[in-house]
Amino acid sequence: MFEIGLKLMNASRTLVCVGLFALSPIGFSAIGISASAQDFPSGSRTPSVTMQPPEIVSIHRGHPGSVQLQFRIASGFHINSNQPKQEYLKKTELKLDAPTDIAIEKVVYPDGEDRSFPFAPDEKLSVYSGDFPIEVVVRPLKTVVPTKYAIHGKLYYQACDNAACYPPKQFPVSFEIKVLKSANEHKKRIPPQSPHTHG
Amino acid sequence: MKRDPVILIVVAIVISLMLVFGIQKARHNNSSSSLGGTSKLQGQLAPDFSLASLDGKTVKLSDFRGKAVLLNFWATWCEPCKIEMPWFVDLQKKYGPQGLQVVGVAMDDASPKEIGEFAQKMSVNYPVLVGKESVGDQYGGIPYLPSTFYIGRDGKVVDRVFGLVSRSEIENNIQKALGQQGQVAQR
Repeated sequence: MFEIGLKLMNASRTLVCVGLFALSPIGFSAIGISASAQDFPSGSRTPSVTMQPPEIVSIHRGHPGSVQLQFRIASGFHINSNQPKQEYLKKTELKLDAPTDIAIEKVVYPDGEDRSFPFAPDEKLSVYSGDFPIEVVVRPLKTVVPTKYAIHGKLYYQACDNAACYPPKQFPVSFEIKVLKSANEHKKRIPPQSPHTHG
Repeated sequence: MKRDPVILIVVAIVISLMLVFGIQKARHNNSSSSLGGTSKLQGQLAPDFSLASLDGKTVKLSDFRGKAVLLNFWATWCEPCKIEMPWFVDLQKKYGPQGLQVVGVAMDDASPKEIGEFAQKMSVNYPVLVGKESVGDQYGGIPYLPSTFYIGRDGKVVDRVFGLVSRSEIENNIQKALGQQGQVAQR
């Protein structure tokens, strides 16, 4: 009898705990968080672009090497692509300052996603949203000293949400490359093997 | 020592309540700090300013005293702003004879020539002024565009709207601004 009473008490405690948790703000926020992340009013947050820490890429001097930079735009925002369809829109652009003897051969932007927005349902804009990559092709000159080099720059972008646009911004970008001697140079240093042996 | 799980749960709920309300309060403070300056303006005299128009003249907001003013902060790079501009053109035609004056303030890094070309392309029929950040600051800061202030004939701010809203909402606000003098006189 005593055991049954104890079990009933434990069960009711468990029910109270579950009920309290469901009614608690954590429970509410867990339920409501996915909706509120998308439906925030304009201006309640500011747009942000961040970059994942890039890997250090090894590049042989005298040869081109590719560095992949991964950017993330905060959810609910979009930025113009590098080739917006409308002439007055600010394009997303990565401007880099490379050290002397490190040439930035090209910056490769992804194609924008053609999207229409509630403010212009009949018009398609070329935009980036979520994650997007930018590829930087770097060529260290043949004369450069083999070591690590830091390349700095800025990502210029202008963000909007579904009803408003935010002033153009700059995001500081930096990554490192490791310059190696070229494979040919190694070969050159190995003395040629003579087919003849000198006794 | 054995702890009662109900007490633990209650403590956890109290802590979570404190956390959630703390976060909500912080969020509220953030949004009111960015927009609070402008909400203080409601019912107050709109800050006067003096800006250059696209044709090089100096225009003061107080030049329009006696008219209802729709003061629209915009930029050439702002797509939602482009949607509103033809509405403002129509509404200026419709309510101009009743005393409405639309005034555009370009918060742009483009040159006045480029702004002028853009405005011409949009067939703008109201004065466009070359904006300054200091003027935006007078209005509580303009964190994003479009931002529109509705000013009554008595020079007081009737309402302000951030972001793109419907044409009917804009028209309602214009009517409020045009009726402001009557409301004040009745009091």
